[in-house]
Amino acid sequence: MKNRLRELRAARHWSQADLADRCGVSRQAINAVETERHDPSLPLAFTLADVFELTIEQVFLPDRPSVDR
Amino acid sequence: MSDHLQEDNHTRAARRALFMEGLPVVTLGALALALGSGPDPGTTLRNGWLAATTVFTLSVVWLLVRAFRRADEYLRRIQLESMAVAFAAVMVALWLATALAAADVVDLRQVVPAILVAGPALWLVLADLRTRWHR
Repeated sequence: MKNRLRELRAARHWSQADLADRCGVSRQAINAVETERHDPSLPLAFTLADVFELTIEQVFLPDRPSVDR
Repeated sequence: MSDHLQEDNHTRAARRALFMEGLPVVTLGALALALGSGPDPGTTLRNGWLAATTVFTLSVVWLLVRAFRRADEYLRRIQLESMAVAFAAVMVALWLATALAAADVVDLRQVVPAILVAGPALWLVLADLRTRWHR
């Protein structure tokens, strides 16, 4: 899933390890989410959004075609 | 960027816990090995070796379960996928060894322990390589 982790992290001058400590996960997990190799669980996605004081929609971008309503 | 040089607290704590819990288990393994290395062990020594080996095996399982529970969702996924690949490899190897033993090509009693040792080794190597690959 596309996300803005790298950009948000860079804006705050945080390393991956800093973000990992704030979220209580390993740096590898942050790296995997950032490089789109791992889709985070809903609890981790909420934690990541909370850490950046944003909503999930502002951090994660769905990589699927938009649904016509 | 210093991303790859820094270590997070989660990994540091997990490594420390594994070391603290692993030390007595390794000691027990060495004790079991020492008890079983005698050329002609008596009944008492043999029973001691059996007890030490059983406790050692159970404590290795306990160690792995603890490490698994401590891991975060990504590392747990890596462990599970590596375990699945190793399990499949062991199954195929056992099937092959059984077929070859039926054809009198190999001795099953000699091959099976090697396969059973190679399985967990493959699991650990795969899990390690996969976490090192994308640092």
